[in-house]
Amino acid sequence: MTVKKMKRRAILAFVQNKPGTLNKISMMIRRKMYNVDTLTVCKAKPPGVSRMTITLREDDEAKVTQVIRQLEKFTEVIRAKELDRDCSYWREVAIVKFELDTKKLEKLQKKYQIEILDSKPHDIHIIQIAGPTDRLDSFLDDLGAEHLIEIARTGVTAMDK
Amino acid sequence: MQGTELVLRALHARGVKYIFGYTGGAIMPVFDEMEKQKLFTFVMPRHEQGATFMAQGMSRASLSTATPQIGVCMATSGPGAMNLVTGVADAHMDSVPIVAITGQVATGVIATDAFQESDVVGVMMPICKQTYMPLSADEIEKTIHEAFYVATTGRFGPVVIDIPKDVQVQQARENYNFDLKKFRPKLPGFYYHPSPERDVLHQAIELINRSERPVLFCGHGVISSNAGAMLQEFAEKTNIPVAFTLHGLSAMPVDHPLSLGMMGMHGTVEANRAVMNADLIISFGMRFDDRVTGKLKEYAKDADVIHVEIDPSELDKNVKTTVAINADVSRTLHVMLNDPELNSKPRRRWLQEIEENRQVTISSVADELADGVGIAGKLLMKTIIHRLSEITEGKDIVVPDVGQHQMMSARYYNFQTNNSWFTSGGAGTMGCSLPMAIGAKLARPEERVWSISGDGGFQMNIQELGTIMEQKTDVKIMILNNGYLGMVRQWQTLFFDGRYAGTPMQSPDYGLIAQAYGIPYLKVAELDQVDAAIRTAIAHDGAYILEFICDPSEVILPMIPAGGGFGDMIVSRPQA
Repeated sequence: MTVKKMKRRAILAFVQNKPGTLNKISMMIRRKMYNVDTLTVCKAKPPGVSRMTITLREDDEAKVTQVIRQLEKFTEVIRAKELDRDCSYWREVAIVKFELDTKKLEKLQKKYQIEILDSKPHDIHIIQIAGPTDRLDSFLDDLGAEHLIEIARTGVTAMDK
Repeated sequence: MQGTELVLRALHARGVKYIFGYTGGAIMPVFDEMEKQKLFTFVMPRHEQGATFMAQGMSRASLSTATPQIGVCMATSGPGAMNLVTGVADAHMDSVPIVAITGQVATGVIATDAFQESDVVGVMMPICKQTYMPLSADEIEKTIHEAFYVATTGRFGPVVIDIPKDVQVQQARENYNFDLKKFRPKLPGFYYHPSPERDVLHQAIELINRSERPVLFCGHGVISSNAGAMLQEFAEKTNIPVAFTLHGLSAMPVDHPLSLGMMGMHGTVEANRAVMNADLIISFGMRFDDRVTGKLKEYAKDADVIHVEIDPSELDKNVKTTVAINADVSRTLHVMLNDPELNSKPRRRWLQEIEENRQVTISSVADELADGVGIAGKLLMKTIIHRLSEITEGKDIVVPDVGQHQMMSARYYNFQTNNSWFTSGGAGTMGCSLPMAIGAKLARPEERVWSISGDGGFQMNIQELGTIMEQKTDVKIMILNNGYLGMVRQWQTLFFDGRYAGTPMQSPDYGLIAQAYGIPYLKVAELDQVDAAIRTAIAHDGAYILEFICDPSEVILPMIPAGGGFGDMIVSRPQA
């Protein structure tokens, strides 16, 4: 049986930077049982406002509307909307530690724009890769799970075109 | 000024007259200041949960008066605050504006597991509209005013303010100054649409004019926006029948020719069949709760849905709307009523069909109501409520608890007074009645208030008899005692082959309890004593307890089984 992968969505929310806001939003997500992939928060341009990007998997339009309305219901949320996949950039960054011989590393370097942060003895490298989620996934595929030691991903942040 | 003075100044400015509170280590400074000022009437419940329901009674009952007041409850940190949880969650489910103020341990020891410390903000966050913790005396007034604003703006809800003890006793900075007239809460994302938008409104009017078999739904939003009279006018103007949610009851006289009574799980046959066969639902201020809709897939399949609702997150949540109007019920009705396009139809066939179904409801209980008693001559709850309704002409305030007697009250009380029905609906909190009735009576002292409980719910907050004793609150108390948790027993009868697991229960001698609290009491076991007992309680100046010995086998019908559709409605009792 193949499990059909649900459509990935990104929701952008501007929220007041107050204690408990993140807690409240994550609690709502748990309570309503949404399938959240990533959640990132950073400072937005206006002071005291944070920018939150939530990606989740959901095919049902009504459910996505519900997430947005539930978000907007919080007094701390100034604005929330869905980002259209074709009209916005979705990016993430990963730091990857792996063990790989130099030749293969050079090959990967050619194919992907990666920045080598550190190379240690015994072919251990720490690199940084940025881009859309599928580029990061494809890099990891090419690298091969057997070479991977550790990985840290930021989760998606996004912006309208 | 000290923090505590600022707390009380803010409450006073918001028109608060009553404070329902229970003191303790972390809230003592506020109580101390209250004692100095003597600006408020202090009511002490016998358990903090009682305070939350008294506050609810105050908010709900005073809503329709000339001086609406938000119910305020107070408790100390830790266990005191935790005892507020159920009542706050209940207010959240039923959209009741209350303000709960809790003391918290001093900021210096927060997060050290100090004595009587608990994470009030963390616990309350998902079960109330907003939580606050002011961290300096200067923030207190601003916080309390924002709390009142949030509680009463848009869809109502409870708000919790947790004030650390050191902040309570802190002095505000020297040049501290707060001007309420200039105060605007800084909440850029918190706004609501009071008025309906033009295009959706026109679509709605068109649907209404086109419909053959429409039904109006009257929800809690009609009560909350004081729009009962307008809804009635709208129904009369368009000649459309009205079905009520549990909380919509008492918005207009329930014996009005266009009234279908309550709909949903224990709704009337005419209401539920009308919903099932409708081609248009025009719903005002409700949320299509599962007790109203039954199985969603089968719900009102042929109907277009117009949903007027102040909270946009309720639109399209459970039932897909044809026209969603995100606005205040009262403003929408006002605009609709004055729309020259809105027209009326005789709807002879539709109203005829409804009338036939009304006769089904009437005949299904005609025998029982005529007999008045069930097995072994024991009293039926429906008879008692029916008699109460007749004797009081449906004009009194009714505050039932949760369970069979609540549904009986919803079905057999002939509501005539606007906003005279307060109960726990969404949360279904047993024990709510006695404290909520106290709050309602204090809000509307000129009216008669009935607290109606089963033996189960009554024993859950029985300690509030102490409050009644102390405050000399004139609440007429009815205990419909059938020796069981009646509603669960009914489910066991119908769906669990009559295995009564955990439902039989013993009661104390309520006569002795009443005597201990100095409240007069009457026990009623015979049908011919019912009227006299009710009249005795009415004639007595002060609280009165009436205990009725009821038939445990009585069921409230019709009933749509949980998860069932309207086609699964059980109208008459299956023969054993």
